[in-house]
Amino acid sequence: MGKLMRTLVLGLGNELLSDDAAGILAVRALREEMAGRADVVESSMAGMALLDVFLGYDAAVIVDAVCTGSKPVGTISELMPENLGRVLAPSPHYAGLPEMLALVDKLELDFPKKLTIFAVEVADPYTLGGDLTEEVAQALGELRSRVRVQVERWAQEEADIA
Amino acid sequence: MTREFTIDPITRLEGHGKIQIFLNDAGEVDRAYLQVPELRGFEKFAEGRRAEDMPQITSRICGVCPTAHHMASTKALDDLYKVEAPASAKKIRELIYSTFFVEDHALHFFFLGGPDFIVGPTAPKAERNILGVLGKVGLEIGKEVIGLRKQLRELISLAGGKVIHPVFGLPGGVSRPLKAEDIEKFKAGAAHAVEFGKFCLKVFGDIVLANAAYVDMITSDAYTHRTYYMGMVDAGNKVNFYDGDIRVVDPEGREYVKFSGGDYLGHVAEHVEPWSYMKFCYLKNVGWKGFSEGGESGIYSVAPLARLNVSDGMATPVAQEAYEQFFSTLGGKPVHHTLANHWARVIELVYAAERMAELASDPEIASPDVRTIPTATPKEGVGVVEAPRGTLFHHYATNERGLITKANLIVATQGNAARTAMSVDKAARSMIKGGEIDEGMLNQVEMAFRAYDPCHGCATHTLPGQMPLIVEVRDAGGELVSELRRD
Repeated sequence: MGKLMRTLVLGLGNELLSDDAAGILAVRALREEMAGRADVVESSMAGMALLDVFLGYDAAVIVDAVCTGSKPVGTISELMPENLGRVLAPSPHYAGLPEMLALVDKLELDFPKKLTIFAVEVADPYTLGGDLTEEVAQALGELRSRVRVQVERWAQEEADIA
Repeated sequence: MTREFTIDPITRLEGHGKIQIFLNDAGEVDRAYLQVPELRGFEKFAEGRRAEDMPQITSRICGVCPTAHHMASTKALDDLYKVEAPASAKKIRELIYSTFFVEDHALHFFFLGGPDFIVGPTAPKAERNILGVLGKVGLEIGKEVIGLRKQLRELISLAGGKVIHPVFGLPGGVSRPLKAEDIEKFKAGAAHAVEFGKFCLKVFGDIVLANAAYVDMITSDAYTHRTYYMGMVDAGNKVNFYDGDIRVVDPEGREYVKFSGGDYLGHVAEHVEPWSYMKFCYLKNVGWKGFSEGGESGIYSVAPLARLNVSDGMATPVAQEAYEQFFSTLGGKPVHHTLANHWARVIELVYAAERMAELASDPEIASPDVRTIPTATPKEGVGVVEAPRGTLFHHYATNERGLITKANLIVATQGNAARTAMSVDKAARSMIKGGEIDEGMLNQVEMAFRAYDPCHGCATHTLPGQMPLIVEVRDAGGELVSELRRD
């Protein structure tokens, strides 16, 4: 069988911005235990600038905060990239995942074939220096479990194919 | 008459835009506002922290331009400790900074601003995106942009530590000298960047300038505002991103004032509006006269167009040639057309690439002498750079132990905030008649603010997605008449 599957666990967010730290803090604690199975990366980059991070991986899990206001704080959702919106970038910095995926497809870049997003609903991603909201802090453990399960599942699928 | 409304975007997106339009009794636009969320609590957050941590902390505020915050902060520390970095260290800083400029401007030119002017403003909405850009310039170019950015970002990491959180800047210099093999890589990267820059000029010439309809649109009244301009210049009044004085020209293009960064509080003031978290910058000595244009109004603009307007030229040959063509094509200085920012950005990209090449070949860049150790007791310091999006000020005051007692940032987007608000208002007025809102307005508004390359929030990363734009139209009584949304 070919080379070993390369898996990325990407925590997105900004550590300095209260609840926006959720994705970063969730993955940081996974770094050691994931060693050898997945690369754990933290990033504050936005949109298209994230492309570099993904290249060369077969599979990727993104962990991030969302603030939709429509779900209780602390709720974890699994988002599908294809549901994130149309191919359209109405503002300079927010050329996002849909655009990235379209570009990757068109240019045949070495981008993860498998992509999952776990997003935790947060209350305040805008205040510098604040702590995590209690419900968000409590959700970190569950976020990590979801990541573990996902990485394990992909590894199993790969083993089955092999 | 305003009420609170909940925006319900599908994902959290920093910097989501909400535009509120108020109509008068006749159903015509009374006033249109662009709302953006703003970073909260920076001053409080900074208090009590060690000043020398600020280049790391502030570079983490924003996922878009960490290198610009890092650089402004490092220069503020030089000033705080009254220490001058050795010439070699300044050159290393500028080399890294120029590299950052090329990659940031390249991203904007093709992938972010590109849909408007490469694909074309009149192209169907479905084509005005990245795929449309690739369709027009070819797949190879897409790969080229991605490849070049990767190469440049690796250079920044090589010399400056991680791209996301650069760590090279220290008061009085940089953390380490450049190795001979690193310099060779910079030379190669610079040569690549210069060729790429020339190619971008060609793309702009072939696609935009060769098309009279595009040029007409750039120069149309809808995208024109006669304001002051601000930007940094070197001793010869040439554009400089890293160091120099701040020059301001009036709407006629005459020098209004030139000041050193440390004196910014004598020249820049912030206006607060009840409807926005954003503080709107204006020229203190001209004064705030509302959202109005002309020499009587203190509103000014920053970013690429402003930098070209305030300077007497570019310090490198290819960029200088492009600079001359820019002003001769657009009718002389200053150029007041917001959409000309795209062209100005390409000229700056070329300058940054040429500057990279100059610095990488400068023998002094290899010097091991990269640090002057600070000995003064700190009190107060200001650092200013040109971020890709405009003039960026960092200002810290500390106690004698170097712990921050007060910190102030003025970010580039604030410099353009008032003018951006005027652009939104202008778009609304031209597209709304008798309470009827034209779908084309979203497009016009977006094109106007995309040219400024704003970074709302300056605080932000995102779950990759797009910026929802919500337009609310309210009648004279504050009741919602109609709503357009893109999310």
